[in-house]
Amino acid sequence: MSINLNHNLHQAQLKNGLRVMLKEIHTAPVTSTWIWYGIGSRNELPGKTGLSHWVEHMQFKGTRKFTSEDIDNLVSRVGGYSNAFTSPDWTTYFETMPSAHLHATLELEADRMVNSLFDPVEVETERTVIISEREGSENYPEFRLDEAVQLRSFQAHPYRHEVLGFKGDLISISRDDLFEHYRQYYQPANAILCIAGDISPESVLEDVENLFGSIPPAPLIRSIPSPEKALTPGDTVELEGPGEAHYLEIAWRCPAANDPDFFAYSIIESLLSGPSSLNMFGSGGISNRTSRLYQALVEEDYAASVFGDLSANIDPGVYKVFATIRPDGDPWAALKIVDEQVSRITSSELSVREIERAIKQARALFAYGSDNITNQGFWMGYASSFADYQWFAEYLTRLSSVTPSQVLKTAQKYLPADQRVVGIYRASKMQEQA
Amino acid sequence: MSNSMPDSHTILRETWLNGTTLLAYPNLTSPAVYFTGYMQPGAIEDADELHGLVSFTTDMLMTGTKHLNFQRLHDKIESIGASLSIGTGHLSTTFVGQCLREDLETVWNLLVEIVQQPAFAEKQFKRVRNQILTGIAIQNQDTATMASQAFNRAIYGSHPYAHPDIGYAQSFSGLRLEQLESFHANHYGPKGLVLAVCGGIAPEMARDIFARTLGAWQNKTQTSPKTLPPFTPPASSIRSHTTLEEKKQSDLIIGVPAPKTVSRDYQVCSLGNTILGRYGMMGRIGKVVREKAGLSYEVSSHLGAGIGPTAWKIVAGVNPENLEKAISLLRQEILRFYTEPVTPQELQDVKTQALGRLPLSLETNAGIASILVSIERYGYGLDYLRQLPALIESITAEEILAAAQRYWDLDKLVIASAGKALQ
Repeated sequence: MSINLNHNLHQAQLKNGLRVMLKEIHTAPVTSTWIWYGIGSRNELPGKTGLSHWVEHMQFKGTRKFTSEDIDNLVSRVGGYSNAFTSPDWTTYFETMPSAHLHATLELEADRMVNSLFDPVEVETERTVIISEREGSENYPEFRLDEAVQLRSFQAHPYRHEVLGFKGDLISISRDDLFEHYRQYYQPANAILCIAGDISPESVLEDVENLFGSIPPAPLIRSIPSPEKALTPGDTVELEGPGEAHYLEIAWRCPAANDPDFFAYSIIESLLSGPSSLNMFGSGGISNRTSRLYQALVEEDYAASVFGDLSANIDPGVYKVFATIRPDGDPWAALKIVDEQVSRITSSELSVREIERAIKQARALFAYGSDNITNQGFWMGYASSFADYQWFAEYLTRLSSVTPSQVLKTAQKYLPADQRVVGIYRASKMQEQA
Repeated sequence: MSNSMPDSHTILRETWLNGTTLLAYPNLTSPAVYFTGYMQPGAIEDADELHGLVSFTTDMLMTGTKHLNFQRLHDKIESIGASLSIGTGHLSTTFVGQCLREDLETVWNLLVEIVQQPAFAEKQFKRVRNQILTGIAIQNQDTATMASQAFNRAIYGSHPYAHPDIGYAQSFSGLRLEQLESFHANHYGPKGLVLAVCGGIAPEMARDIFARTLGAWQNKTQTSPKTLPPFTPPASSIRSHTTLEEKKQSDLIIGVPAPKTVSRDYQVCSLGNTILGRYGMMGRIGKVVREKAGLSYEVSSHLGAGIGPTAWKIVAGVNPENLEKAISLLRQEILRFYTEPVTPQELQDVKTQALGRLPLSLETNAGIASILVSIERYGYGLDYLRQLPALIESITAEEILAAAQRYWDLDKLVIASAGKALQ
């Protein structure tokens, strides 16, 4: 079985710099429209963290042409669904709709690229909504630990802070800060429009040209952070707080998605903590019960669960492993087991069978994502945000070309003993009262 | 995927003498296959002092078989990139899986082996018990779970649905492995098993594989499931709060018993619920609590579906200082919902949304398989999707108001919250 992601793919660029990617899929009368902006928490400066995410919220508050209610209705009335996401590297908005309504979504996206109002009253209402969103996350020990580990994993690079931003910044950010951020980064030269589904590329491109072609480009001045290198050896952060289980999180430096090492690293991840899915929508994943860390930690009762996370980012980030430890367990003992397993990876080559298995898993994950038009729209923009679509199209081929010696070299480069950040959250039992 | 709607002409439905049922629908453009379904038993089989026994027994199924230990079993699944999981619901054990089409027979053979011949190894018994106890301990500090459990206790009272399927920590202290083995032998079997499959496999081929695997399962000792006891709704308002200090956000649930899932009332209330707390940015309550007051990131309403009693509820996460203010705003919206008819525009919006969403819900293998399971579980009939548009079109604002008045009453609300102590 092979999946040809380049099949029926059309690409264009308007004079104002807007890149357009169209993928014809005629299996259902549905289209998924995604607009991606090359702005995320990666480009935020100290004191202004959370700007990108907050701007994303404000994009649902309306323009002169579309009130917030119009935006809701445009999608909901026809049974569509829409959402937006902010990541460290990008901000994206999508609408999946019956294909007859594609023009309306394009009209909305063209309009809110430049005409959002940022009403001061709405800004203040949204401030409390976003703080509420952050407080909801802070209820979880895992979030608090992850935030602490992230801060230690980067000295200066903005990957150090959560996309939500620091609470102090969320209190002090002004309407002008938000509007300025919007004006700078929401413009055609910093955007990619991706449409997948039941479309006729020629007529859609004409529509796009009519709606977006007259939006002027602006000079793009962005804070581009310098990638960070190795982690500080032996760095550990310990927290204590309410809870009934301890948590262990370990972060190692990982390469940027566009770095050739990324593919060998993906195989390391698959083997150590199980494969990550590159799908965003409705496609499920593969369990990790035969991964080395599950076997060593969970099967041997050092932890109740373990999972890993390797994200595809523009700059080198971190590969993280999270373990939940029983109240009578010892996070340090679990860490020792993790170190032993990492040491195995860095000291001997994997078998060809282990690599083949990782490739089959990746192929299955692609297959699961391919029946979903929304996911196909996501893939185009996601890959283009840190590399280009060929990164996805050639993913399985590049994974297949990884050799055992490349995996070993990559492991030795990124996972040397002690060169990781360790986070431990110790539970201090809380009293529950009904 | 075919543009045609799944119906009695295109869905393959077949029953076997052992009591199993298969529903299959093709999506031959997909290289993958997705299946889901349910079988006996459900958590209602738990005895009073042993809440969690069914869930524990089900969790043990995936820890190895008589022929495959844990490692070998999961290696067989994961090495082909497949997934297979089994869980516990109130009335049934549910399962879901996904694989490349060429691996379907392998995965169904594994499913048969897992449910027929679990190993019940002592080491896994201890490990799974510890995992469940850790899970319960974590849930006990989770505001959303605590609010939900308190809500269920209050609304369901003495009905078995008042208890969490996972059970309570104290249930596990005296539990022995033999009890699980014995329970498995008498309760897990083919009678009542339903499986729906969709993906890149012809229905006839899926039927042949099913016949060789789950269709051939026999268990003569399988007992009939318990009958659900009657449900008595609360006679007056109930308010509970679970204190979890040091939490930054409180979770809130306000609800009432929902209509029976298989009834016209349910379809009527479903449209009403979309207006109340789903449509656009979480409906009317989203507008009031999130958009205007800025009190909450997440506030929405949910109409429960299932066999037996379910709840119609509003859930919200709010800062502890704003909890009472949020309750007050939500009470106002509930009152409005059952004293004033929805507007013609609101009704038109949710109707077109429901009709437009239909093709989107059929976009994926998982979406189709899930609908096929619902069709079977609730006895809707294979032409349900064709009949649904006319049913939706026929619903009026007056019907929604009358239905809302049957279920919502400010004097009979169940309100549960969890978070910092109430001020």
